[in-house]
Amino acid sequence: MRTDAVPVRPLPLTSEQAEAMLQRHVKKHHIAIILLHWFNALVWGSELLTGLALISSPLFRVAPSWYISLVEGIFGSRANVLQIHVALGLSWIGVYLVYGIFGFRTYLSREVLQHEIALDRDDVRWLIVRTQRILGWTSEPLPPQGIYNAGQKLFAFLVYTMIPVVMASGVVMAFRLFGTQVVGWAVVVHFGAAGLVVSGLMIHVYMGAVFPEEKPAFFSMITGTVNELYAYSHHFKWWTIVKAEEGVWDRQHDDETGHPADIAGPTEPVRPE
Amino acid sequence: MARYAMVTDLTKCVACQACTVACNAEWGVPAGYARTRVRSTPISGTFPHLASGVYVAQCNQCDRPPCVEACPSGATSQGANGIVEVDKSLCIGCGFCLDACPYDARYINPVTKKVDKCDFCLARLERGAEPACVTTCTAHAKYFGDLEDRHSDVFKMVYAMGARRMETSRVRVGPNVYYAGEQARADLVMAAFPPRPPRLLAAGEAWSRVLKPLVLAAVGATFVGQAVAFFNQLRNGEKDFED
Repeated sequence: MRTDAVPVRPLPLTSEQAEAMLQRHVKKHHIAIILLHWFNALVWGSELLTGLALISSPLFRVAPSWYISLVEGIFGSRANVLQIHVALGLSWIGVYLVYGIFGFRTYLSREVLQHEIALDRDDVRWLIVRTQRILGWTSEPLPPQGIYNAGQKLFAFLVYTMIPVVMASGVVMAFRLFGTQVVGWAVVVHFGAAGLVVSGLMIHVYMGAVFPEEKPAFFSMITGTVNELYAYSHHFKWWTIVKAEEGVWDRQHDDETGHPADIAGPTEPVRPE
Repeated sequence: MARYAMVTDLTKCVACQACTVACNAEWGVPAGYARTRVRSTPISGTFPHLASGVYVAQCNQCDRPPCVEACPSGATSQGANGIVEVDKSLCIGCGFCLDACPYDARYINPVTKKVDKCDFCLARLERGAEPACVTTCTAHAKYFGDLEDRHSDVFKMVYAMGARRMETSRVRVGPNVYYAGEQARADLVMAAFPPRPPRLLAAGEAWSRVLKPLVLAAVGATFVGQAVAFFNQLRNGEKDFED
């Protein structure tokens, strides 16, 4: 493999190159992950809507009282709301256990954690530039990203750490384990952990469903694939890995572009800095 | 609607605990716990001028019950008749209400791990019976009735004979269990078993004072950030990413 030929950042493409890359698809998500994602989304949505209606004391509640009455009305009684909340939460834990038992080597390997959670220098810079761009303060290009961008990595870190906390505190409450002191703190921890995830979740949903530049990422959670152009311009470092896996960097290179002649690529020579 | 109250006549009660036994039997209270229990003050004075009193430790169905506010799940609520009820299907056993109660009238059932307390035998009231402790009282020292009924025993004892609430200047939650009898004896009981100020557990404090504002601020800030981003998006128009 001629590493000196691997480009380090995306370069402007000709419209033919862009068009060609738009037609090619790269596999991003396994079907198991897609199913887990939407199951997870369904559970979080339902648990948040029911959970908000379960905290009624003015000292602690965050939802207005009309909302609490509304949810109680929908489910018939507050006891039903609690039962559904608990039953759904326990089945959620069950599904995660199955995934954990059969898939922990795949989903929680050191390699995955390194690529999907750990931030590198580009990622830190990306967070700054991304925020500034959204606020319209700069048009500086975004630093190249791996399979997940830094925002997704931060959210993954939040979710990976908070999901076990939400699960454990939920189980403590559902079965009233370890006495009133522990249950009392479990309520508080459950609320706090869910609250943290929600503030991240809002960005996650906004970026996925509303923000125009990330639309291919949203559809990749349905089809499992993204077009190569999106991979190239948004997840460039991942794109180079995909190409390496395809053996592209081993093949005959076009010395002018640094890319194999048979794929679309930058229009000028690229050298590592 | 009724406003139920209970009066204990301190001159009649002999602390026989028949009420405790009747209550435990009626509600299947586990051994070592009680919804109601008669506690005696230490004997004071010198012979032959000795004095003692009794205090019935039970839920006072307060007018302003601190336990209702402390309950996060809404399991504890107050009915229109003033009775503070516990909905067992909602109780998660967090114990916030135990600390809130100035009279320490609640306990956690060791089997169900849920809270339990006196509710003036609400189930018996609904079928027209009196509370078990009142029916059983060997000295007829306990009276139960409606304070809004001018002909009731409790109305006469509270408004005509001056039966007293166990309140101090620091703790005024409007208890609806009254004590009738001589002034000196009531003072003795009050001094021995004063209500304590309602407490909120550290977990509850952390929740209401720190975590709730923190979560609201985090979610609010995110929302504002997104609103700005969305506004920019609308202003700039949607562009496909490859442009």
